[in-house]
Amino acid sequence: MFWDGFLVTASVSALSIVGSFLIGVIVAFGAVSRRPFLRKAARGYIGLFRNIPFIVQVFFFYFGLPEIGVYIDAFTTGTMALSIAVGAYAADVLRSGIENVDTGVIEAAEVSGLSRFKIYRRIILPIALRVSLRPLGSVFINLVLTTSILSTITLNELTGNAKIVASDTFRPFEVYFFLLLFYCVLTYLLSLLINLWHRRLNRFMRGAE
Amino acid sequence: MRNQGFNWHDPILWAQGLGVSVGVFAASMILGTVIGIFIALCRVYKVPVVAPVLLVISEFLKNSPVLVQLFLVFFGVPVLLQVNITPAEAAIFTLTGNTAAFIAVIAISAIDAIDRGQLEAARSFGHSERSILRKIIAPQALVVAMPALIGLAVNQLQVTSLISAIGVIDLTKVGQILNQRTWQPFIVWTIIGVTYFILSRLLAAAGGRLETRLRRHMDWAGL
Amino acid sequence: MIEIDNLHKKFGDTEVLKGVSLSIAPGEVVSILGASGSGKSTLMRCMNGLAGLNGGSLLIDGLDVSKPRELREIRKRCATVFQHFNLYPHLSVLDNITLAPMDVLGRKKAEVEAEAYALLKQVGLADRADAYPGQLSGGQKQRIGICRALAMQPRYLLLDEVTSALDPEMTGEVLDVLAALARSGTTMIFVTHEIAFAREISSRIVFLDDGVVRADMPTDRFFAEDGGYGDERIARFLAKMRNK
Ligand SMILES: Nc1ncnc2c1ncn2[C@@H]1O[C@H](COP(=O)(O)OP(=O)(O)O)[C@@H](O)[C@H]1O
Ligand SMILES: [Mg+2]
Repeated sequence: MFWDGFLVTASVSALSIVGSFLIGVIVAFGAVSRRPFLRKAARGYIGLFRNIPFIVQVFFFYFGLPEIGVYIDAFTTGTMALSIAVGAYAADVLRSGIENVDTGVIEAAEVSGLSRFKIYRRIILPIALRVSLRPLGSVFINLVLTTSILSTITLNELTGNAKIVASDTFRPFEVYFFLLLFYCVLTYLLSLLINLWHRRLNRFMRGAE
Repeated sequence: MRNQGFNWHDPILWAQGLGVSVGVFAASMILGTVIGIFIALCRVYKVPVVAPVLLVISEFLKNSPVLVQLFLVFFGVPVLLQVNITPAEAAIFTLTGNTAAFIAVIAISAIDAIDRGQLEAARSFGHSERSILRKIIAPQALVVAMPALIGLAVNQLQVTSLISAIGVIDLTKVGQILNQRTWQPFIVWTIIGVTYFILSRLLAAAGGRLETRLRRHMDWAGL
Repeated sequence: MIEIDNLHKKFGDTEVLKGVSLSIAPGEVVSILGASGSGKSTLMRCMNGLAGLNGGSLLIDGLDVSKPRELREIRKRCATVFQHFNLYPHLSVLDNITLAPMDVLGRKKAEVEAEAYALLKQVGLADRADAYPGQLSGGQKQRIGICRALAMQPRYLLLDEVTSALDPEMTGEVLDVLAALARSGTTMIFVTHEIAFAREISSRIVFLDDGVVRADMPTDRFFAEDGGYGDERIARFLAKMRNK
């Protein structure tokens, strides 16, 4: 039972991390685009989803989508809502990473004849990613914690399952306390992973000026 | 009960929910700030036992879902201690603890950012530790911490929405009630979402103004 | 052949280049001198397309920098070395050098890498191919910057104050590399404050003064009493540089 919940939490988290990252990259590039319309739209996106509670967003989709004839399960709705919402946070982190890439480095790439797309993909994005990895890590750790909210739309991930176990066993304190500890361990492991990755990706910083 | 339209009572319900959300937010923010600063001071003055224990609790709160914390307090604690806790009490208690954990981190790093030399100078002039804290550390730390505090406040405002899950009739719960009655999810959740959005922006704007005022004040003081 | 005709460049309301005309033939080594703020960097940035033109024309091998399609071709022929190196911090030295030749010129990896090693050897950094820019000294970084430019096998090499961000003891190592390059017949246009060095390696000096070409003559004449030195402003500039 616990294991089932863990698998749901893990898969929703993994899928949403990928989804929010992709959305984050796209929106971040929109936010630094030269086209005023794209900039406005991207910055509006970031502002909108960061200033509305996730639970409200998730209810909007969960109850709203069937009204327009889209019937998807709680798992899919949750993954989608998480990707969209966390995408806004990821975009903001990446935007500031991109804006902080040294313009001189970008100019060097430009005059060497690399295409705009190649400059983004080979120069700007990798550099922005490396400096954004830690803040991005906290965004994703928060994502994992946020998956618990999906229990309110009947998804039986860790928290949803714990609710059932708590009422079956009449031992809510032990169950929720253990669950909190488990989330702590989970996020701690995740942060270790991110640190490791950060160190790997930033080995070029060793001995930097 | 399905498909009943909105009625004249709904705006009042909305306003009540709004009041509860803002009330819980304000209460937990104020209490949390006081406790958070207390934790930070224990840490800064290296109070034995208390400091590490508080720090562990604060880490625990930061790294676990608030929703589960709410469940623990509302469902778990009454069974364990054989006491009665109302949803509102559980909500304020939990969010206060949560806010305190984050405030402590912000306060510690703001205090760390203050130049050590200044403090030593003040001590050498024989100022009491209390007055150093009040007159030198606190005002500077506040300015340094403002951006982080604004971010935290906006975030904690969103977090209050979770208290709907333990039955507090806040703005989100009002949304659920209206959603179930009218079955107009797009309208209901858009209104609720927009309300939170405006609240957040107002909060951020107010924080921003406070920050500029504090900074100006500091400039006058010649710091 | 670089042909600049009546080039104008403005930033907002201030005109920085006020009708610059200049032509540079293949094989020439031209130094551009001038006080700080006279528009040297802007002129260089017009040549590699980092700054657009507000008037006049700038052709390189008959290609127009203001036409995007032609600029792309120009950038294959024209390489730039920057004052602040601008190396890619996340790529190894080798990747810094091979990125553009492989990607822009479509050349084979093995071939480009072999060349990169040869270039590194030339500048005395054969053992640093796997290092990252953050691990190198300023002088080493600039030598890598030069390798990166040369790996494009450019017809024209633009260098803008490539030693002014370096400590004096590192300036020498970079200038040595440049001197060797000048002798090898690469067309070089370089902005510098190293007057003695400019005199030693360049065949021609262009003196830029407040956005206009005040002198454009063979090096010998520029430093002669009846040539550039005869011009009061140039003499004052040279005197100031010498006293620094
Ligand atoms: N991007 C820019 N925006 C506004 N003014 C600029 C810009 N770049 C250069 N300038 C101005 O143009 C003038 C010439 O600058 P520059 O070409 O860098 O001179 P130099 O390289 O000879 O020192 C200076 O007055 C400088 O302030
Ligand atoms: Mg310059």
